[in-house]
Amino acid sequence: MSMIEFNNVEKYYGNFHALKNINLQIDEGETVVLIGPSGSGKSTLIRTVNGLEEIQEGNLLVNGFDLHDPKTDMNRIRKNVGMVFQHFNLYSNKTTLENVMLAPRLVLKRDEAENKKIAMELLEKVGLADKAANMPSELSGGQKQRAAIARSLAMQPKALLFDEPTSALDPEMIGDVLDVMRDIAKDSSMTMLVVTHEMSFAKAVADRVIFMADGHILEDSSTKEFFEKPKEPRAQKFLSQVEQH
Amino acid sequence: MVTLGIFSAFTPENVLYLLGGLGVTVGVSIISVILSLIFGSIVGIIQFERIPYFSKFVGMINNIIRNLPLLLIIFFVYFALPKLGIHLPIFWATVLAMTTFESSMLAEIVRGGLESIDIGQFEGARANGLSNTQTMVYIVLPQAYKKMIPPIISQLISLVKDTSLALGIVLSEMTYRGQIVYAQNSNYIIPVLIVITLVYFLLNYGLSLIAKWADHKLA
Repeated sequence: MSMIEFNNVEKYYGNFHALKNINLQIDEGETVVLIGPSGSGKSTLIRTVNGLEEIQEGNLLVNGFDLHDPKTDMNRIRKNVGMVFQHFNLYSNKTTLENVMLAPRLVLKRDEAENKKIAMELLEKVGLADKAANMPSELSGGQKQRAAIARSLAMQPKALLFDEPTSALDPEMIGDVLDVMRDIAKDSSMTMLVVTHEMSFAKAVADRVIFMADGHILEDSSTKEFFEKPKEPRAQKFLSQVEQH
Repeated sequence: MVTLGIFSAFTPENVLYLLGGLGVTVGVSIISVILSLIFGSIVGIIQFERIPYFSKFVGMINNIIRNLPLLLIIFFVYFALPKLGIHLPIFWATVLAMTTFESSMLAEIVRGGLESIDIGQFEGARANGLSNTQTMVYIVLPQAYKKMIPPIISQLISLVKDTSLALGIVLSEMTYRGQIVYAQNSNYIIPVLIVITLVYFLLNYGLSLIAKWADHKLA
């Protein structure tokens, strides 16, 4: 069953045509990596999936609900779809533990003792149990991102969106974050859509790779196919440029 | 002689009379501070939320009020409202005028404070499943108020000082009563004004100490 489904989706910012005739299906449990040069529309695309960006035409089904239908309750979608941002967006007025516990308490009305137990297990899993009482400003970039991942997981979502999760990190911090993401991808029921420039991560973890440029999806291939023999000339050029360093 | 004035100006009757005026000043201030914090926040949030038409309309009214002299608003409430059939006792007329004016000043501070919060805080909360109201109450407002404490307090300090404008409608507050006292004897002018100055200073210095404490406590 498809978890995320784009049918002829168009997105404009004023006169700028950001997403052009997007058709894409992502099945439950799949891990899909979205790559492309900057300005290609990857971030815009991923942000439409939880309604942070509106679409103007077509329909976009997430977990069976049409996001373009004004009657759709956006909060209900977001309960099931987590998101991890490039700049973490942790709640700067809450401790690490509170960051993880807040949404389950307010939105899911999870029992307080259970909430704390789940939150501590997640912090343990991402290696931050000893930072539970710290404020986000006291964490390093990599720690912030792992806390943000724990915060998303605490909602026990069906799908997780990652919008360039390692792009704002120092090189030595990237490995820990990718390790956590790899663990999540192993869970076969979690659907993951990841915008990233980490090709080694894509190769190791993704089931499929989507290549975007100028608001179009140019290529949608299995990971093996994409990295061994990309069909699109622009994808070939992009890969050769990224692999030079 | 001035020295003579210092001792004779403060007879028990005059001191009690001035203290009564201080009570009125503090009373108007406290009630207006509380009401304008509430209404100022509501108006500021409405402007920030950009509700179609409504936010623009509220913003326009707010702009008009903010650009009027406070004395004119006081006159309007006390002299014009009765012509429209609304009669308020002088104390409450002053409270209404002060609250109207200070709410519109505070609304600007609240709107500015909200706009200073990083958009990522909203997006993080919304993506995490929080509703718009929960995002405001638990994430955005606490951060915004922390930043707003200094400008809010300086606005409240002008509110306390501005209560003296109500002598324009003969509200028997401290400055007005001071005038009555030194009208008895011109030698009282300097001592009475010095004492009133000190009292305003102490009131507002107290407020700024509370502000410092709150800032420290929340930071």
